Amino acid sequence: MSDYLWDKNGDGDAEVERLERTLQAFAQATPPPPLDLRRRPPARGGFGRGALLIAATLALAVAGAVFTLMERRDTPAWQVTTGGERSMLSVGSWLDTTKGEATLAVADIGTVTVEPGARVRLLSTRSGHHRMELARGTMHATIWAPPNQFFVETPSTLAVDLGCAYTLTVDEDGGGLVTVLVGWVGFTTGDRESFIPAGFIAVTRPGVGPGTPYSERTSEAYRRALALIDFSPGDAGFAPALSRVLDESEERDEVTLWHLLSRVPAAAGRDRVFDRLAAFVPPPTGVTRDGIRAGDRRMLDAWWDALGLGSTSLWRTWSQQWRDDSYRR
Amino acid sequence: MTDTARLVRSAQGGDGEAFAQLYQRFARMVHGVVLARIARTEVDDVVQDVFVTAFERLSSLREPAAFPGWLASIARHRAADHGRRLVPVSPLDEVPVPARGHDRIEALAILDAIRSLPEAYSETLVLRLVEGMTGAEIAERTGLTAGSVRVNLHRGMKLLRDKLT
Repeated sequence: MSDYLWDKNGDGDAEVERLERTLQAFAQATPPPPLDLRRRPPARGGFGRGALLIAATLALAVAGAVFTLMERRDTPAWQVTTGGERSMLSVGSWLDTTKGEATLAVADIGTVTVEPGARVRLLSTRSGHHRMELARGTMHATIWAPPNQFFVETPSTLAVDLGCAYTLTVDEDGGGLVTVLVGWVGFTTGDRESFIPAGFIAVTRPGVGPGTPYSERTSEAYRRALALIDFSPGDAGFAPALSRVLDESEERDEVTLWHLLSRVPAAAGRDRVFDRLAAFVPPPTGVTRDGIRAGDRRMLDAWWDALGLGSTSLWRTWSQQWRDDSYRR
Repeated sequence: MTDTARLVRSAQGGDGEAFAQLYQRFARMVHGVVLARIARTEVDDVVQDVFVTAFERLSSLREPAAFPGWLASIARHRAADHGRRLVPVSPLDEVPVPARGHDRIEALAILDAIRSLPEAYSETLVLRLVEGMTGAEIAERTGLTAGSVRVNLHRGMKLLRDKLT
């Protein structure tokens, strides 16, 4: 073993150094984020716990304030690299990539590569909250911050980073398409929301909002049928489209089926969606057909949790946060 | 008595600043131990939980010098508990990787490769390669012996090289 692997001294090990450089983005921040000891109150009783809680919370609150002050020194602008030339994109400014691809440093939480012919704007950037607009074109985001810190507004939806890498395209009509490579993206417009995991795609339309996520492995016919369900619910082809989606759905499509539970009207076949999803993931205890038919949110969440993809309590919290943020902006 | 042990003793006596210093000193170790086991997006929350748990139980720690190993053990258990509740999304073997953001995707792939190693190796390698700790620091912060850390680094790195070639 090289000394370098043990203590970083001696002759460098090229492979170890490469791994260090590549992986350093995942390291704990320095200094670490403020500790919130109130997130779960300690048990009652015990020697000195009450006093310790108060004292430690105060000490950490002071430390947190110091960190916050340090973070607020951040310049409200992102560095832009285009063709080897560097410039800054300040809050409120537009960037048109007429000269070629541009790479934006999203503060210290990630990068966005904007393809030629795109138009983007920096809306706000501060510690824990970074927001941009994609008016048209394609961007590739790679974000390593915790979820709910990076937002992209488009003409038809708000894309919320839930810890991931993804590609987002906005066409001339304001419609959008997201392909998630790693992690999750949330799409939200009004009360309509979609949660798109890695390996899934979702479209969004002006005036409607996000469509139902679908796997990259689905057929073109499946996607067309899903688009009709999402964006033309009154179309005469609705019932055949639903039949196609249900018939072609496999276990990997449980995310799609779960979204359809609340999107297909009860009178238009929600029970059929219930049955198809239940064939892959039985509804957990307490989730009933009547409840799903009535759109019971708690039952929908419980069924999602049963999919084993993560708890809805996490994204419900994030969802609330991003809604709050949008109100404050 | 070591400096850490003194801080633990002070924290047990109600010194909040001492606990804050322990958090500053051990946050990187806990972050690495947790990151070695669960999805990256969940790590920060679990790290917080680990310190809250440690805070709650600190008075039950009889030997202050055992704090590093005790805290690492809490981190491993909390990460394991979390892992049982959530299935991390690991799509890298299924999703085509675009040229853009390739460095980032490569980093995630390497992290996945490290996580696929036996726990003792993956944890030590994350602390060394991600968190940037030296072998001696890993030993001091986790309560493991320097010899164990050295062996874990050596064997883990060999397995990782094999996986990445």
